[in-house]
Amino acid sequence: MTDHDEVLERAIEGLKAPPELSPDFTVRVMASIAADETPERAPRPRWWRRRWTIEVTPLSLAAAAALGVLAVGLSRAGREGPVPTVVETAALATSTPAAQVTQFLLVAPGADSVSVVGDFNDWSATATPLARANGDGLWWVTVPLSPGRYRYAFVVNGTVWRPDPQTSVVEDEFGRPNSVVTIGGA
Amino acid sequence: MKATASRVGIVGTLGLGVLLLIAALLLMAAAPSQAHGQEPRLGKLPEPARSELNTLVTAANQRGLPTEALVDRALEGLAKGASAQAIIAAVGRLRDELVVAHRALGPGATGPEVTAGANAIRAGASGDELTRLKTLRADRSLVVAAGVFADLVASGVPADTAIGAVMALAADVADADYLAFRRTIQRDIAVGVSPMAAIDVRLRGLAEQGLTAGDTPGSVGGGTRVKRKP
Repeated sequence: MTDHDEVLERAIEGLKAPPELSPDFTVRVMASIAADETPERAPRPRWWRRRWTIEVTPLSLAAAAALGVLAVGLSRAGREGPVPTVVETAALATSTPAAQVTQFLLVAPGADSVSVVGDFNDWSATATPLARANGDGLWWVTVPLSPGRYRYAFVVNGTVWRPDPQTSVVEDEFGRPNSVVTIGGA
Repeated sequence: MKATASRVGIVGTLGLGVLLLIAALLLMAAAPSQAHGQEPRLGKLPEPARSELNTLVTAANQRGLPTEALVDRALEGLAKGASAQAIIAAVGRLRDELVVAHRALGPGATGPEVTAGANAIRAGASGDELTRLKTLRADRSLVVAAGVFADLVASGVPADTAIGAVMALAADVADADYLAFRRTIQRDIAVGVSPMAAIDVRLRGLAEQGLTAGDTPGSVGGGTRVKRKP
């Protein structure tokens, strides 16, 4: 072993020895941490306010759409109440002999549009438009009706309500007169 | 990083699926209440009128009354721009008439018959008269007979005259005859004949054809007035 080696050995031993700490070292370190003015962390947002990242694949999108369609279909299943569409009304006319085809006519020269509203179409001004027959201002439509008594009126140009001038039977309790048609069995 | 994004994507997709499933279950749970407690067509009405009318219609349904006419009346009011108060009052009044008609016609009456009976009550018939009319029509529908009565009254024929005429025809004529009778009376009135004279003369004519009961008011002893039966 050379002198050089002995110096090196001492240096290594010196480095291995733990440093001498003053007795109040820990107290001072903790005081220093406490004195450090680190800004307070913002509270973590609640889960319902947190932003989500959603990745959607075509497959998952299709599954979600199918679930949605299923949900809507199930919600509609079992509902009551008629849906007055042309298809259903036409089917009724052919499958129910008691249904009578009733023709509504109105002479309204100068009218841009005419519709009939009544108990048979939920009083919808768009459900049963009349067709223009010729240049004389004659408008008409046929509606299959089961036996019964129906209140109705014509709506001209979407805003003007008129009772049927061909019938003297007029009733009203809302300030706009109706006509009435009674339909018998076949 | 990419793995984390994939995991978030999967979790997000699962979350979306769960949300949709919950939505589906909620809709399924809501469906029965719409079928039994809510009338979808009343959805066009504003609150609180919609809730009030739904309650009224549901209660009527539970009493065995036909509710179609009630909904139609509400929709008529809505289409005519009537106030919610006026609509509720009109529907309530019709409900009361349906109650009287239902009681008069009995549990065997069909929905359209009860509705026609309510129209007749509105036109001035009594519950007892409806009961008698139903008895006279026996196995035939009351819809057209009651409807023609209401039509005659609306044409200007006094209620007691009109009900007498309809009863006189009840046992013998078909619905088509009732409708022809009404058309004839309305035509007579349109050309200036008084409603009572029109009824009297036309009933006599039918009696001579054997179409009215033997004790019809118009065929008795040359009398010209149709009287309400006791």
